[in-house]
Amino acid sequence: MHESPIIKLGGLNIDLAIVIMLVVTCTIVFVLARLGTRRLSVENPGKMQNFMEWVVEFVLGLISSTMDLKKGKPFLKLGMTLIMFIFVGNMLGLPFSLVTEYSQVDKAQIFGHPLVTVVDALDKAHASNPGGEHIEVGVAWWKSPTADASVAMGLALMVFVLSNGLGIIKNPRNYFKHYLQPYPFFLPINLIEQFSKLLTQGMRLFGNIFAGEVLISVLIKLSALGVVGTIGSVLGLVVWQGFSIFVGSIQAFVFTILTMVYLSQALETHDEH
Amino acid sequence: MSFHWESLVLGLIAFAILYWLLSKYAFDPLFSIMEKRRELVQQQLTEASNTREQAIGYVEEQKAALQQARQQAYDIIEQSKQTSGKQAAQIVDLAKNEATRLKDDAVRDIQNEKNKAVEQLRSEVGIASVKIASKLLEKEVKEDNVQEELVDQYLKEVGGKS
Repeated sequence: MHESPIIKLGGLNIDLAIVIMLVVTCTIVFVLARLGTRRLSVENPGKMQNFMEWVVEFVLGLISSTMDLKKGKPFLKLGMTLIMFIFVGNMLGLPFSLVTEYSQVDKAQIFGHPLVTVVDALDKAHASNPGGEHIEVGVAWWKSPTADASVAMGLALMVFVLSNGLGIIKNPRNYFKHYLQPYPFFLPINLIEQFSKLLTQGMRLFGNIFAGEVLISVLIKLSALGVVGTIGSVLGLVVWQGFSIFVGSIQAFVFTILTMVYLSQALETHDEH
Repeated sequence: MSFHWESLVLGLIAFAILYWLLSKYAFDPLFSIMEKRRELVQQQLTEASNTREQAIGYVEEQKAALQQARQQAYDIIEQSKQTSGKQAAQIVDLAKNEATRLKDDAVRDIQNEKNKAVEQLRSEVGIASVKIASKLLEKEVKEDNVQEELVDQYLKEVGGKS
């Protein structure tokens, strides 16, 4: 498995791959959105504007399927940013990857900062096998930002904080009451449920995308097995990349709709009963 | 797999910046355009329904006008029928009156003529009777002057009466 290019900067572990990929993802999403809203027209929308409006309608559909549209309208921007960010992020890891290999500790550095993980891995390898054969540690610079547990969990944490915070501020009575339902001794289960929501939402996204990238790198390594391996690798990559596009879209959709579901659960008022 | 809270924070910061940028430069203009379009469609729908209502009103008006015109035509025909009937009756009456008048005139004329004829006949009969009487009396009156005086007197009387 490839290591992450982490450097120490003022006591913080900065993952350079994450920084790069976050910037790339945000840039692509923003450029896409700007292209879609460049020449806005009421009566004669262009193709890109139509696409952006389709995204708006799609997210509106997600919101209205989980809660009252009047209540959910403020989350439209959140949903659109989420679905575009996650979708683009999921797609970025598919077409190619960028790996650098390091075999010597003193070369594993960038801008004068040592790559902590590479140094550790090399040290460990040398310690377990002193004076052994040539060891190389690969560092992945290009991958899906969502294939990183930290980023995926960060997004899930944001949804968690947002839904619980809104529940406490806007809907305190029903929010706290729902922990004791249907019976007060369900309290621990309800608490666990809240945290399992956080975990599953983040881990589902991370797991799907990460597993997809792992399988892609495994398929690439298959080509080392000669002609048969290369053919199998190419065929497998074609199939798996196509499937990964599907998985990436589904995960973006699932993450967004789960966000809306959690928000609607927190804002549920039971007024109609 | 590795978990670094720094990456988590970086992800959140990136997401927040993206959210703000998209909100300001992409979503707000897009939403306002979509809202404008919604208003435009709404306005056009309202206009269409207004126009339709107006059209219905016009049709109703036309129908009413047509009905009125028909009623008027019917009235005119009815009136003319009545007047023509009246005129015919008048003409007949007039003719009847005329005929009666003519008949009466004729009857009066006949009466007049008859009366005249009777008068004439009477005078002629008087003259003739006088002549006859004078013829009869001539013989006797010649012999007697006294009688002649008497006859004259009678004749005077007759003449005065006739």
